[in-house]
Amino acid sequence: MTRVLSPVAGQVVGLAGVPDPVFAQAMVGPGTAVDPERAPGQAIAPVTGTIVKLHPHAFVVVDDEGHGVLVHLGVDTVQLKGEGFELLAAEGDAVEAGQPVVGWNPAAIEAGGRSPVCAVVALDAPADALSDVKESGAVEKGAELYTWR
Amino acid sequence: MDKAEAIIAALGGADNIDEIEPCATRLRTVVSDADLVNEAGLKAAGAFGVMRSGNVVQVVVGPDADTIASDIEDLLD
Repeated sequence: MTRVLSPVAGQVVGLAGVPDPVFAQAMVGPGTAVDPERAPGQAIAPVTGTIVKLHPHAFVVVDDEGHGVLVHLGVDTVQLKGEGFELLAAEGDAVEAGQPVVGWNPAAIEAGGRSPVCAVVALDAPADALSDVKESGAVEKGAELYTWR
Repeated sequence: MDKAEAIIAALGGADNIDEIEPCATRLRTVVSDADLVNEAGLKAAGAFGVMRSGNVVQVVVGPDADTIASDIEDLLD
C-alpha cells in the first residue's frame, strides 16, 4: 500500500479541475490535482522510490511496489522548455517521500498565461485501486492525497 | 511491428508526419493530412487516447512518450 503525498501546498481541485483533457479524463490514470500556492517553492517526491522520468515540468517516482506516480507541474508547461524550473534531483536518483525534486514558481507560470495546476497521477492504476482520494479543500505540502493499494 | 512503427503507420505513414514532439504523457504531432490518421490503430498500438484538432494530433502514450518519440524519430530519419 502506498500513501501518495501532495508535492505542493494549495487547494485540491481533483483531476477534473485540470484544464487538460488527458488529465481531466484520467487517460493516464486516476489521481487528483492541486492548485498550488502562488509563491516560489519546491515540488517534493510524493512517494519514496526512484525517479524514473525527470523533465523540468514533470517527473515520475516509482516505489518498491512498482507504483509509478506522475507529478505534472502546470498545464502545457512542456512549452516552457525548462525555463523557470530548477532540477533538484537527477533521473535515476533514489528519493525519500518529501524530498525536493523541482523548484518552480506557480505565479510565474500563471503570469505566462498557463495554468499552474499540479496533477498527481497514479499511472496505469485501475480507479478502484485508490482510496481516500482528496478531491477538495486546502492541503499542506507532504500531506496525504490518496492511498494506492 | 513495434510500438513506434505501429504509431507511424496509424498516423498515416512517415510521409504524413510533419512534426513530432514528446511531452510528459503524450506525443504532440503535426500531420499533413488528418484524414489519414487511424485512431483505432493508434489505440491498438497502445495509446490511451487520441486528441485531434485540425492537423494537430496528440497521442496519449503515458510517461514513456520521450522514449517512443525518439524511436519514431530514428525511424523517420
